[in-house]
Amino acid sequence: MSGIASRFKQLLIERGLAPDERHRVQHAPAELNSAGIDDWGLDPITLQAALGACRWLYRDYFRVETNGIDRIPEGRVLIIANHGGQIPFDGVLLGMSLLLDAKPARIPRGMVERWFPSLPFISTLFMRCGQMVGDIHNCRDLLEREQAVVVFPEGTRGSGKPFQKRYQLERFGTGFVRLALETRTPIVPVGIIGCEEMYPAFLHLKKLARWMGVPYVPVTPFFPAMGALGALPLPTKVTIRFGQPIRFEGDPDAPDSIIEEMVDEVKTALAAEIREGLRLRSGRVFTGSARDQDSDDAAARLGRSDGR
Amino acid sequence: MAVESLVGDIAPKPGSTILVTGAAGGLASIVSDQLSEEFRLVGVDPRPMPYGRNFPGAFHMVDYAHRKMADVFRRYQFSAVLHLGRVAATSGLSRSARYNVNVLGTRNLLSLSRKYRVRRVVVFSTFHVYGAHQHNHLHLTEDEPLRASQIFPELSDAIELDNFARTFSLQYPEVSTLILRPVNVVGSKIQNEISRLLRGEYVPKLLGYDPMLQFIHEVDVARALRLALDSSRSGVYNVAGEGIVPWSTAIELAGGVALPIPHLLLYPLVGALSPISRIPKHLIDYFRYPVILKDQGFRRDFGFAPSVNTVDALASVRGGRGR
Repeated sequence: MSGIASRFKQLLIERGLAPDERHRVQHAPAELNSAGIDDWGLDPITLQAALGACRWLYRDYFRVETNGIDRIPEGRVLIIANHGGQIPFDGVLLGMSLLLDAKPARIPRGMVERWFPSLPFISTLFMRCGQMVGDIHNCRDLLEREQAVVVFPEGTRGSGKPFQKRYQLERFGTGFVRLALETRTPIVPVGIIGCEEMYPAFLHLKKLARWMGVPYVPVTPFFPAMGALGALPLPTKVTIRFGQPIRFEGDPDAPDSIIEEMVDEVKTALAAEIREGLRLRSGRVFTGSARDQDSDDAAARLGRSDGR
Repeated sequence: MAVESLVGDIAPKPGSTILVTGAAGGLASIVSDQLSEEFRLVGVDPRPMPYGRNFPGAFHMVDYAHRKMADVFRRYQFSAVLHLGRVAATSGLSRSARYNVNVLGTRNLLSLSRKYRVRRVVVFSTFHVYGAHQHNHLHLTEDEPLRASQIFPELSDAIELDNFARTFSLQYPEVSTLILRPVNVVGSKIQNEISRLLRGEYVPKLLGYDPMLQFIHEVDVARALRLALDSSRSGVYNVAGEGIVPWSTAIELAGGVALPIPHLLLYPLVGALSPISRIPKHLIDYFRYPVILKDQGFRRDFGFAPSVNTVDALASVRGGRGR
């Protein structure tokens, strides 16, 4: 049983990942115990296999480009991004960028909703890939162990916003700034361009959502009208723009007014990345790159387009 | 939570007498063999000693809540009490019988310890008191509420034992009382439910769920208890082994084959079988949601470091890779 599973994983890793990607991912910093697993349930082999299986989504379907990914500092870091597009592909793609394009690769530690562990299979898979319940204790522990934690401060307010509100940032929570102050963690604001058009939702079925116990059920021109096919995301072009790290100092228990100023600083930096990205893309949702023309990793990008 | 005792050196002196409860159990046999080299031991248990085994010291078959327990305390001058006698929900005893041993018995042992001026009491609780729940943080500290009381009424006796000992340690600081909450104890000798489960050829797991579990080898439990006896710290401490592994990996490391069962099927199945199988339904949740303990406190304050890593600990359950 387990023999077949591990052979299947090996196959996904070998077929799915290019040799240099594999090498980088294998050297992403993590503290493993004698059984090869970390204290949060991360199993690097499963993570690599999942990455191998989903790489085409990143490289071929959404043709993800990154900008300024070398700005991610070493050690503990909070990665703060905009959230949108109904189904959180932005989280998946941002996480994949940290593994496939960041040098050195970082294991993205994302936070899932509290009800998530009650789902079979998918919750186990997410756990093995280094994700966990969004909980201040988990987050603090991870930062203290020098991990890269991905946070969407808009939460479901962001992912659930309708199409006409795309790229307008919802209210940010303040918890992440307090945590950054407490653990002295640099914050990297990230603007994700292209994810907020994947599901152009114009309506939410609120009653159905309440009945199903999910945050929202979106209606798009294709879903539910075209059934399962309509549930596929549109193949938009995705660019992930990493801003300069922001380092705050101060009292983590400061009054909200002070913390909110810091939150606004992050939000402004994030909004600037989005604005610049949208300008560069200039309306070409399916083809337009939102990368800086003269960015450092442009050469690397060109080199990557052949042979893989 | 830890409080350093103010009453000076309370560690039992070599040659002094220590009371070990649960003396007929596997854990006591592992611990007492080692301790008997240094201390005089007196064992008590409501159960008879299993055939063919000798307790390394005097043994009294007595109910902890019975007034005869006072005779034992009067007869020996205990320098310390090692309370290993908690009975698990899987023991097959009824709820009221478990209440009798775990709650009334513990209360009697603690009040006798106070009356007969025992300086050091170590109570062996369990990680089960935290309860398995989807909202648990991944790493639970000793300050966490004992959620099991809310979700598993079957465990109320174990929680009350823990609570009782905790209150006692604060109320009567003259008895330095330490409560240990260990994770799953595994090894070749121990006869607990988790080891029995792991010794099977086919080991059930929930289809689609694979929570992380912690294990500590029986040898390390003995070491932890030894450190606990020697220290004068009171309070509550989580005790864990080296690593944290998914249940499926644990099964594999123990040399078994995982048998996935849908949880919708397993709950009614175990419920229906529980009169015979002695496995209560609530235990399934411990294989569905994680209950992971933060054990930094015990490592720091007691200088504890597990000597057997998780891989070797699990490999030892069949007595194979002998330790």
